[in-house]
Amino acid sequence: MRSKHVLRLLALGYLALLLGIPVALVFVNAFQDGIAAACEAVTTPEAQHAFYLTMVMVAVAVPLNTIFGVLCALAIVRQRFRGRALLNAMVDLPFAVSPVVVGLALLLVYGRRDGWVGEWFAEQGIQIIFSIPGMILATMFVSLPFVVREVIPVLREVGTEQEQAAATLGAGPFQTFFRVTLPAIRWGVAYGVVLTTARALGEFGALSVVSGGISGKTETATLFVEDRFQRFDETGAYAASVVLALLALATLLAMNVIKPKEARR
Amino acid sequence: MSIVVDSVSKRFGEFTALEDVSLEVRDGSLTALLGPSGGGKSTLLRVIAGLEAPDSGKVLIAGEDATRKPPQRRNVGFVFQHYAAFKHMTVAKNVAFGLTVRKRPREEIEVRVDELLKLVHLDGFAHRYPSQLSGGQRQRMALARALAVQPRVLLLDEPFGALDATVRKELRAWLRRLHDEVHVTTVFVTHDQEEAMEVAEQIVVLNHGRIEQTGSPRQLYERPANDFVMGFVGPVSELSGRWIRPHDVEILHEPSDGAAEAMIDRIVHLGFEVRVELTLGDGEKTWVQTTRANAQELELTDGEIVWLRAATEYDRVPA
Repeated sequence: MRSKHVLRLLALGYLALLLGIPVALVFVNAFQDGIAAACEAVTTPEAQHAFYLTMVMVAVAVPLNTIFGVLCALAIVRQRFRGRALLNAMVDLPFAVSPVVVGLALLLVYGRRDGWVGEWFAEQGIQIIFSIPGMILATMFVSLPFVVREVIPVLREVGTEQEQAAATLGAGPFQTFFRVTLPAIRWGVAYGVVLTTARALGEFGALSVVSGGISGKTETATLFVEDRFQRFDETGAYAASVVLALLALATLLAMNVIKPKEARR
Repeated sequence: MSIVVDSVSKRFGEFTALEDVSLEVRDGSLTALLGPSGGGKSTLLRVIAGLEAPDSGKVLIAGEDATRKPPQRRNVGFVFQHYAAFKHMTVAKNVAFGLTVRKRPREEIEVRVDELLKLVHLDGFAHRYPSQLSGGQRQRMALARALAVQPRVLLLDEPFGALDATVRKELRAWLRRLHDEVHVTTVFVTHDQEEAMEVAEQIVVLNHGRIEQTGSPRQLYERPANDFVMGFVGPVSELSGRWIRPHDVEILHEPSDGAAEAMIDRIVHLGFEVRVELTLGDGEKTWVQTTRANAQELELTDGEIVWLRAATEYDRVPA
């Protein structure tokens, strides 16, 4: 009995110190000048635009990384080809490389003056760095591995028998994928989507390099928080942080609300 | 529909799964592929289904070359050892799958699913999920699912292998009756000789990727082509340097021409069957299977000296 309590206390204490108390303090500080002030701070045109941009990042990066993630996991698990191990390792690169480095790398490729292909894009009238396309690329880069990593173990566990059964029953490759494979891995995909969304919402390092942080133009919610903080607008910084935290929380909750309903049967 | 397998070979890296295998399965028959694990029987079944491509050779279904056709265009029913149930679909949706992907009208699908669930005694389970069924029920569902599309041939890969002994026996008898009702050309894989003997009309014995013998259960038992088949399809004892079925040995109280002297070590009563364990003159151990009535008549006792003689000649192969 005693050791059980010790274990629990240890786990809870660790979480409280690292996560609970700091996040709680953000909430407290956001409302230090009252709820009205906090609401006002996050509804200014700059703030609204920042949240809008963050949503754009999520809306583009999450679907693309989900489709890529599922296809990539299928290739890694179901196929044998040269370079499979390399692909598998490459997927983890965004985990290993610091986002700041990712931002700098994007500058080297797409930078307008000395980027590898930036000049060509500039001639076509497409600006990538210090503009939305570059920010989307950065967000996609850092949130790439989650779906792949969540789907691979599920795909392994499900095996190939159901797919083979579908084939003998007359289903073509597309029918088999949409009617058998995808439903079988749906919870892996859903969890991957939640993690990808959370990561895309919170991206800061790579964005701060490639966005240029032009207030009201290329400033996402995280960059907005940093900007307010630098200008000693504590209420603005903390209130925006609260909104970001609530968005992430909502994604996690949405997942937990749908999941038990289906899994209960 | 008939199946013809014409000199099929298949290798997996260094491992030869099938080597120059040829086989004919008559229309409407029930055939067992029997052999030890790793003998190639599952690979052969998967080649017929199109789930494996042979390295060489041909597969003909209903006289038509199917070697290059993908499984979804062969119109075969396939039943897997571990059911391969679609876990996210109800029993009815599982059974309907083949018809749904063929875009058949809803009413037709409903009627057919009802019919099939009755056939496999799962009416009333239509809205359950596979996780709510027992192993035997899941396998019957898989069978209904395979039959739903009216396949030209039905292929079963160790269909009862994952079930416990009682359910196995039940389903075996049931498969036999089902075949009499549905009459679809059926091939099933098993490593259990009793199962093959009980269910199949024709047995194909496979070992090391080659066919050892093809024949009726009785032919295999009484006229095995070689000692592998002899040992695999039934019990054997050794007498005078030859293999013989233990029930084909006669026990005599007196010496006789060609009879070997032996001492009874132990008499085991197994109900109807009696096992007599003996040591031959040269020190070799052997055993004889006889009936309770015969053992009583002979008044056999432990430690007694007797003479053993082959009762029949035809089913002896050199040891």
